Amino acid sequence: MSSVKRKPSWSLGRLAELRRAASFRMALLFMALYGVIAVLLFAFLYVQISGYAIARIDEWLPRGRNAMLRGDIAQMRTRVAEHAQVDPENDRPFALFDRDGQRLAGMFMGPMPAKVQDGRPYTVSVDEPWRQHVRVRSLRAAAYLMPEQQVLVVSQDLAEIDAFNTLLLKALAAAAAVALLMGLAGAVLIGRRSAARLDAITDAIQAIVSGDLSQRLPAARGGDTGDDFDRLVTVVNSMLDDIERLMHEVKGACDNIAHDLRTPLARLLAGLERAQRRAGSFEDYQEAIEAAIGETLSLLTVFNAMLRISEVEDGARRAGFTDIDLALIADDAVEFYAPSADEKGITFDYSRGADLAIPLRGDASLLFEAIGNLIDNAIKFTPDGGSISVKLTRDGDGARLDVQDSGPGIDPLEREAVFLRFHRSESSRHLPGNGLGLSLVAAVARLHGMHVGVVDSARGCHIVLRATAHRQN
Amino acid sequence: MAKVLIIEDDALTAQEIQDALVDDGHQVELATDGRAGLLRAVGADFDVIVLDRMMPGLDGLAVLSTLRTAGITTPVLILSALSAVDERVRGLRAGGDDYLSKPFDFIELTARLDALLRRRDGPAAVTGYQLGRLEMDLLTHTVRLAGQPVDLQPREFRLLEYFFRNAGQVLTRTMVFEAVWEYRSDERSNVIDVHISRLRKKIDPDGTAPLIHTLRGSGYVFREA
Repeated sequence: MSSVKRKPSWSLGRLAELRRAASFRMALLFMALYGVIAVLLFAFLYVQISGYAIARIDEWLPRGRNAMLRGDIAQMRTRVAEHAQVDPENDRPFALFDRDGQRLAGMFMGPMPAKVQDGRPYTVSVDEPWRQHVRVRSLRAAAYLMPEQQVLVVSQDLAEIDAFNTLLLKALAAAAAVALLMGLAGAVLIGRRSAARLDAITDAIQAIVSGDLSQRLPAARGGDTGDDFDRLVTVVNSMLDDIERLMHEVKGACDNIAHDLRTPLARLLAGLERAQRRAGSFEDYQEAIEAAIGETLSLLTVFNAMLRISEVEDGARRAGFTDIDLALIADDAVEFYAPSADEKGITFDYSRGADLAIPLRGDASLLFEAIGNLIDNAIKFTPDGGSISVKLTRDGDGARLDVQDSGPGIDPLEREAVFLRFHRSESSRHLPGNGLGLSLVAAVARLHGMHVGVVDSARGCHIVLRATAHRQN
Repeated sequence: MAKVLIIEDDALTAQEIQDALVDDGHQVELATDGRAGLLRAVGADFDVIVLDRMMPGLDGLAVLSTLRTAGITTPVLILSALSAVDERVRGLRAGGDDYLSKPFDFIELTARLDALLRRRDGPAAVTGYQLGRLEMDLLTHTVRLAGQPVDLQPREFRLLEYFFRNAGQVLTRTMVFEAVWEYRSDERSNVIDVHISRLRKKIDPDGTAPLIHTLRGSGYVFREA
């Protein structure tokens, strides 16, 4: 792919390239197939048509004999001789032979057949020495046994039929040549079109490879025609969208990692240096060590969270899926987190249908953690004395979990971004946390074929987790 | 005091585990690769084995399944840098008794080893517990403090039962969460503290000696004074 360059139209290299184009080769293949079919068809036509002409002659031969038989048998010799006179071109030569094969009368110059098969037509070449251009002619002939053991040969010239056959062959060959030419032209046209598209696509890929991630593969001219190329282009483009999003996420995550990890690392270093400089007593050292352990633990927590998100995103955890009930998990998560809300004086309202069961295949611990994270976030962002409502309801054949709080809410511009790794909105910078909670929720949701998103809300933040019942596998 | 075998190829980690266990009063032996560990485990009677999952040559899972095939039932705690859930499942399926992913707090390691050692003694069939002035009746599902009934939520009851069952032992937050809520936890969370402080308010009223003690680090001990 590295040597792909634009070449001028119709250079030799261009033709060689065309020869490699899959659609061109396909068109050639079809053309060859068509050629074979045409040859078979023409051969059939030829055999049928020329066979018909011969058959007409074969039908006429006995009638020629009958004409000679009419009248007195003894006069036959005279009639044969007379026939020759009324046929100056000798198109239908007759001859009467005696038992020894001596010609008694007529202009049929061929020999009497060695073995006379009464009335059976045969083709014979006859040399007529008086003719100037073509001395040898093809004749269709039949020999008939006559009384007194004489033999009558009736024949007709095949020149006309040969001429017709030649004409027929020429016409068929011309038709085949025209068809093949048109086919070739079509193949070249198709091949060139797809080669041109391939060139455009290759150029776009080259641009992407060399770093321009905003490039997309070109769609067909004249809009989406739905052919296989277009399908491929659509799929690749959506893949590129994903890759671009991931690249931006990774870049953003790297910046954020640098920022989020530098702070605790700097604190760790500062604490240790202070201890080295100033600490005098055993207690001072112990305090410094404890502070260092605390900073290290919080760093480890961040790393663990990152590792877990990528593990969840990896999809490997699907191996541990079991049959679970989302309603029970939601109950447990609410039961686990509600006391924390209580501590902050937050009114916590949980509602779900009494006999609601949402069976699906999944990882109970991950879903517990995801729902727990949503509730935990709500608790974190809701001021003391606020309120949180969690609602689990059936949604079509799936289910939806609504978590709504009376906190500051999420800026509409940030609604997508809050699910990115390390994203922390300005309003949350002062709160503890590593900006990974919602990323984990999003990863768990993706793993289970669910969807999580922030929706419009009159007050606070409203997050919806949607599960579609039949798409868990 | 228990006899512990550590099979770990990383010298520094092995040394640290050894120090932590010796501090806890255990008698520790060290094997630095799978082969040596297997030979030691077969050759002597240990109370518990700490086994690294990833070792060059004979790896942890191979050592474990060989041990189990040989009929050695010593409890095994698997240490692994791999935290994926199927790794955990594979480890437990191969015959491991507990699984701890690196990095870990040492209190988590020693508390889990203690739990394995206790499990070895086998659970006793009990119908109730009593510690100080606190009584729990498992048959009637009631708890009394100094003779007065204590009203506990179902989860609080299970939490208290777990503390009773493991009285005197160090229990980490993760252990409490996994045993009482029965979800796996891969994250250090402080939410459990809220539940424990609620339980405390009910069974450790002001002015009495507390039964639930918080340890520095991340653990709890349930004991008198």
